[in-house]
Amino acid sequence: MDEYRVRAGIFISLILVVLGVLAGRLAWLQIFNAETYSTEAANNATRDIYVRPPRGAIFDRNGALMVSNAPTYALSVNPRYFARSPHDPKAYDTTRVRLLADRLGVPDSSVWSALATAETRNRDAYTRVFPNLSFETFSRIEEERFRLPGVEVETQQSRRYLSEARASHVLGYVREISPRLLDRYYDDGYRRGDLIGINGVERNYESYLRGKLGMSFRLVNARGLDIGPANGGRDDSPPVSGYDLTLTLDAPLQAFAESLFVGKRGGAVAIDPQTGEILSLVSYPDYDLSIFSQKVDGATWRYLNESPTKPMFNRATQSMQPPGSTWKPFMALMALQEGTLKTEEKIFCPGYHPLGGGRMFRCMHRDGAIEVVTAIQRSCNTFFFELMYRTDVNTYQRYAHMFGFGERALSDVSEQTPGLIPDSSYFNRMFGKTGWGAGTTINLGIGQGNMGATPFELARYMGIVAARGHKPTSHLIRNLRNAETGETIVPTLPAPSDLPIKDEYFDLVRLGMRRVMEAGTGRSLQIPGIPSGGKTGTAQAPGVARKDNSVFIMFAPYDNPRIAIAVQVENAGFGAAAAGPIATLMAERYLTGTITPARRALVSRVMAVKSQPLPNEEVAPPPRETAPRGGRDSVARDDAPAALPRPTAPLRRDTARR
Amino acid sequence: MNSRAWYRQLSWTIVFAWAGLVVIGLIAIYSSTHGPAAEYLPEQMTRNFQKQVIFGSVGVLGAVVILNLRMRFFQAIAYPAYLVTLVLLLVTAAIGREINGAKGWLPLPGGFSIQTAEFAKVATLLAVAALLSNRRPGSNNLRYGIAATVLLLIPAAIVIGPQNDTGTGLVFLGLIPIMLFWSELPLNVLALMMAPALAGYFAIVSLPVALAVSLVLSAGMWIATKDRLLTGLAVAFTFGVVAVAGVAVSQLQPHQRARIEAFTNPEAEEFRSGVGYHQVQAKAAIGSGGLTGKGFMHGSQTQGAYIPEQSTDFVFTIIGEEFGFLGGMTLLVLYGLLLTRLVRLGVQMRHPFGSMLAAGTAGIFLIHLFVNIGMVTGLLPVIGIPLPFVSYGGAALMANTLMLAISLSLHLHRDDVTGSLGY
Repeated sequence: MDEYRVRAGIFISLILVVLGVLAGRLAWLQIFNAETYSTEAANNATRDIYVRPPRGAIFDRNGALMVSNAPTYALSVNPRYFARSPHDPKAYDTTRVRLLADRLGVPDSSVWSALATAETRNRDAYTRVFPNLSFETFSRIEEERFRLPGVEVETQQSRRYLSEARASHVLGYVREISPRLLDRYYDDGYRRGDLIGINGVERNYESYLRGKLGMSFRLVNARGLDIGPANGGRDDSPPVSGYDLTLTLDAPLQAFAESLFVGKRGGAVAIDPQTGEILSLVSYPDYDLSIFSQKVDGATWRYLNESPTKPMFNRATQSMQPPGSTWKPFMALMALQEGTLKTEEKIFCPGYHPLGGGRMFRCMHRDGAIEVVTAIQRSCNTFFFELMYRTDVNTYQRYAHMFGFGERALSDVSEQTPGLIPDSSYFNRMFGKTGWGAGTTINLGIGQGNMGATPFELARYMGIVAARGHKPTSHLIRNLRNAETGETIVPTLPAPSDLPIKDEYFDLVRLGMRRVMEAGTGRSLQIPGIPSGGKTGTAQAPGVARKDNSVFIMFAPYDNPRIAIAVQVENAGFGAAAAGPIATLMAERYLTGTITPARRALVSRVMAVKSQPLPNEEVAPPPRETAPRGGRDSVARDDAPAALPRPTAPLRRDTARR
Repeated sequence: MNSRAWYRQLSWTIVFAWAGLVVIGLIAIYSSTHGPAAEYLPEQMTRNFQKQVIFGSVGVLGAVVILNLRMRFFQAIAYPAYLVTLVLLLVTAAIGREINGAKGWLPLPGGFSIQTAEFAKVATLLAVAALLSNRRPGSNNLRYGIAATVLLLIPAAIVIGPQNDTGTGLVFLGLIPIMLFWSELPLNVLALMMAPALAGYFAIVSLPVALAVSLVLSAGMWIATKDRLLTGLAVAFTFGVVAVAGVAVSQLQPHQRARIEAFTNPEAEEFRSGVGYHQVQAKAAIGSGGLTGKGFMHGSQTQGAYIPEQSTDFVFTIIGEEFGFLGGMTLLVLYGLLLTRLVRLGVQMRHPFGSMLAAGTAGIFLIHLFVNIGMVTGLLPVIGIPLPFVSYGGAALMANTLMLAISLSLHLHRDDVTGSLGY
């Protein structure tokens, strides 16, 4: 029996060796290489799903919903699960392709090419191939869910515009993030398929509006079907919805103003002079934001970017044009504060300013000896040529900047191009040190010459005049509110400042502007029952043989102003012809909520006014078309419109007419 | 008569190990049929857990009966049982049901089907034990050795040939050296028998390694025996097999070569989703389990049913993934207890029949264990063979339990056995 014991010893050793080898192998796999295999297992069986939060809604100042979200559906395919068998991963199951094509309502070939697209990207991952599916298509696919492994439908948010007011340039548009932007913003949590604000408020408040992407990790089985949460859902993170924005914009006013601009090019800005809230900001022609909720077709894209009318260009904040006579109240304030003009001082107007020998710097009438209030009321050019004649250009520039001209406003209005306010260095550069003199700068006194301002700048200036030097920060956002937590953020604005100009000077200028409305160029535009101040401008427009720009600034009510407006209409003639009616109608609409019957005719009259067409202007924008359901994935074109060129205005020295 | 009570004689270690393994198996099967994956499970698999419980209970009842039988009964039925199972194997090969390419399931009335080869293992072991225990001391070893080899080769041939079940066939073949070893065949002869298998294995994996192994085996033979004939045979067996395997591999059809290459490098891109799929998935499941596992019913690979046959031949992947290294080691320790204890029973039983049976049973389990876990962890090629007591499968569970019970029974009655039969 000893022999047995020896052999038992050998046998037991063999058993222990076998177990030892297996234990060693286990340790190798599970302890030393656990990480490698964990990754492999996770790649295999876990699917990362982005749970997109609803983008914040946008409300107008009165809480009317302007922008919300509409779900659309996007279908992704994973070619791996379309394989007929794991042994031949490239041969796709024809019946399943047919079924999917049938459910989508597209030809089989679309599905085949979608699979080919997905395969080139990643054969083992989901690739979005059919975006923008309707709910009906989505339901038809869901019915066959179990026969379609490797097919995923995710909900996509797209923007829905509910307001009668388009406010295109205020709101801005959103698009699916482009590969280029995705590269840049990946670390900020952006993922393929996310929406991103491209301009306007949508871009400026992007970080608040978008919320936080949620992640869900799902287990999928060998057939690609979801079988439940991975790791018990412990790694999942819920999406955090974006903040809702409440704008300072008054949607009815905005819609009304937009309707008045039909057929014109130009901009209008209305501001609450006490708070700096922007009540309306119109740039026309505008565009339909919902175009960007779908794939933008070539013709629309060309129209938006190449039409000489530049619908995407924000005329209200970027279009620098000579302000013309609307500049005169500023000149008066500067001269009074500088002491170059006494309050009661009279200047004699023979119908021209003597500097040009009576030929170059002309007035429209012989006003005789007039003081400042009358000069504003009558818009006497001679008076303001003289004020500029008494001032050096650097003082002029300092005051203009005080009012916010020629510099970017500290504001949440994102697209701003400041106007041009020259100083001596500017003229030295342009004409050489000795190449310019009073004859070069005197035109600045009547808002012509080498200068320009945007409607936004003019509106802020008007607000300061209305509030007697009070300069609040103009802004577009009242507050941001998180619908889930109720948390409300009120943006902290730079504190308002007061201009170092005496109230009595403001009172004189305001009085002059009131006279304009009561007995001057604005008398046909008075709002019944509401005294106001205003000033027309008829500015020499850049370009050859172009009709004048119609400009108008105003504030109302006179005593306790609640609205200050600047309107600029390109190539539309006298200030009182287009800009004036628009501005006073906007003010009336805002202050009274309606338009008195007596002034209804003015509405139709101003709507009939057209801007003189631009050379080569293709008139008709392409008709809106509904994008076909379930088109192929479109790689978004470059998101941002190409940098819009600053209008090169050949600003000429010339006289201004009132 | 033995004065000690039966329950003090019974090897409780083995009963405990058996129960532990069965419970681990049931847990793994439950996880695959009651986890999140359950609703996508093929219809016929949804009741695997309940069925395995029933099979286990039937096995326990059978074991209780067997514990009350005596050695003469087993000796008496050894050859008849062997013949009956051979017939069953042939019938199965002729009319059996095919599952995964192996035609090993004999349909029974009532919708059941049974894997006859599992019972053939028990009967063949009984027959070989009966044969070898008849040998009188000093008689011709070689004649018995050849006879035993033939007894084992016949079922192996049927199973590998017509039934196309390489895995089960390997068990019969692997049992040959173990039985001969236990019946006192000279060790050097055994080594000679093992040499070609080892050389062949390494020839497939890597030619340089195979040549090195051949050299070590041949040199070892010379150092141990100084016998020119044996050494010459060792050289012929090892290098010959390597040469033949090398040529054979070069002559293989592309798809056959793919299988071998897939085994040696299953992670290669071209095999991952094809022939190497099983092993890639199995290793991902086990490796990702880490030290402590992902938790019961929380294994992503298990619940996603990434591994085909995961409750049968690949059941270890569930244990490895959900219970980790510790779970796998628990299993190995239980097997260690069971096998070493069985060998010790073999030593304690003075009658060669019982001793042969115990050692043979341990051998069969060891082969299953090594091939199965070796396969799922990527040490060996994919060979369909279940993990004893753990894998789902009624015939295997019952046959293995009965086989274990026979050894326990012979050990329990070892004293009165010798007494009553008067050897």
